[in-house]
Amino acid sequence: MIFIGFIFSAFYLFKPKPITLSFLPYFGKDSLVINKNYFSEIIRDSVSIQSLRFYLSDINLIKNGRKIYQVKNQHNLIDISKKSQVKLFTKSELEFDSIQFDIGVDSLSQVSGAMGGDLDPMKGMYWSWQSGYINFKLEGKSNICNTRNHVFQFHIGGYIFPYNTIQHIILPVQNKTNINIKLNIKKLLSQIDLKNVNQVMSPCKKSVEISKQFANFFSIE
Amino acid sequence: MKFKITLISLILFVSAITIKKGFQLKYPDYFPKPNYDLKKNILTKETIALGRTLFYDPILSKNNTISCASCHSSFNAFAHTDHSLSHGIDDLIGTRNAPALMNLAWQKLFMWDGAINHLDMQALAPINHPKEMGESINHIIDKLNKTAPYPTLFKKAFRDTIITGEKILKALSQFQLCLISAESKYDQVKRNKKKFNDQENRGYILFKTNCNFCHTEPLFSNFTFANNGLAIDTTLNDFGRWQVTKKSEDSLMFKIPSLRNLSYTYPYMHDGRFNTINQVINHYIKGIKQSANLAPELKKGILLSSNEKTDLIAFLLTLNDSAFVFNRNFAYPK
Repeated sequence: MIFIGFIFSAFYLFKPKPITLSFLPYFGKDSLVINKNYFSEIIRDSVSIQSLRFYLSDINLIKNGRKIYQVKNQHNLIDISKKSQVKLFTKSELEFDSIQFDIGVDSLSQVSGAMGGDLDPMKGMYWSWQSGYINFKLEGKSNICNTRNHVFQFHIGGYIFPYNTIQHIILPVQNKTNINIKLNIKKLLSQIDLKNVNQVMSPCKKSVEISKQFANFFSIE
Repeated sequence: MKFKITLISLILFVSAITIKKGFQLKYPDYFPKPNYDLKKNILTKETIALGRTLFYDPILSKNNTISCASCHSSFNAFAHTDHSLSHGIDDLIGTRNAPALMNLAWQKLFMWDGAINHLDMQALAPINHPKEMGESINHIIDKLNKTAPYPTLFKKAFRDTIITGEKILKALSQFQLCLISAESKYDQVKRNKKKFNDQENRGYILFKTNCNFCHTEPLFSNFTFANNGLAIDTTLNDFGRWQVTKKSEDSLMFKIPSLRNLSYTYPYMHDGRFNTINQVINHYIKGIKQSANLAPELKKGILLSSNEKTDLIAFLLTLNDSAFVFNRNFAYPK
């Protein structure tokens, strides 16, 4: 028994530690607390965030422009109030200089029918009236929004040209086993005219415009 | 002993094959290859039975009053006769005519405007629609978990009792995939079991010159979208496919419905504006409204004498499939 335990621990010793990707939400310099009021100088009003969820897919580790590790056919629903980490199990220790991933669900999966796990429509990230996944969902409140209860709702999705909203993100990062990716909500909201644009919930021009801001939203801590 | 082992392994082998193969959809050899990827949702008797039970159960609606079958009745080839527009919870009326459900495995886009991209996802639309079933998939899961015999039925179908959105949708698809209509007189003629009479033959020739381009044999639709010259109903202002694509060239385009089981599926068109086949044919003869994206085949209207009209209708009636409509396997499960 002890011998078996020894073999197992030896096996684990030689196996590289998984690489952990963590998504850490911030409002400017402060780490974000759900439903807490923050002040934004740009909109000159308070902002609070109720929820932030998005699909993370097609993760790649890159060395000198070459893919050295790829997670295929996997969509992770990142929800800052529940699950904000993804582990990458590599076979050996890898040297890489950047990480690449997509925010959203690829067009093939969009048309592949009912799926389970994070892609199950029960996760609340699927549009029933017009087929398609919501790639990115940000909901909160700001007094600047002239809506019921001052809410803003961004349900960003769409996979058919010209309203394709899946976004490809590349971030430089050195061989780390813990990769902390900062989500700067203040920066993202500063790119949106929140007073006039506060309900975007269908594939449209505005969804595409907002999705293009994702590149500024993610950074390495 | 050796014989026993051989026998057991043989049984295991055969059962492994049957489990993997599952239930086979039966359709005629003159049908094209189904569009639905059956490898991703392997049909089994248990899952089909679950799908059928769900299809007929009003538990899928907010106040447990409306089932899929409320608007898709088996006796109407799974359409809803006498209702021009769909009828949902609390007597709310929708904006479109409930289409017939048949030969769905061959279709790619669903709804009159093609807003739904897969049969599995189709059921979510009426489930969520406030004027249809007004319910959420998560609440349905809660209700099913508490309602016998669903946990058992899910266990039989999927080998575990955990109910998910994926399983509900796949079970509903399995039942609907079985709704194959291929036993009409037209089909018997195709299989050389029956013959058209002279009038039906003349009608068939007229059909091939005037209708087949959009209502393509043997499914009697090419399942694309077309503007068939209907004037807009200003009480609905339904622009069809445009509402999905926002492209001006798609304005007033609607999904071309199959002509199978016509007699069972009245009223006709996306808003159920015509009650009889005669009215529909009259529309194509003298009611076409010209517009930039009108189907090119309809630019001049369809020219038919009154005798030819009667012949064409005689042919269209050979597309009625009473074996499909009265198939006990598709009716309310007892």
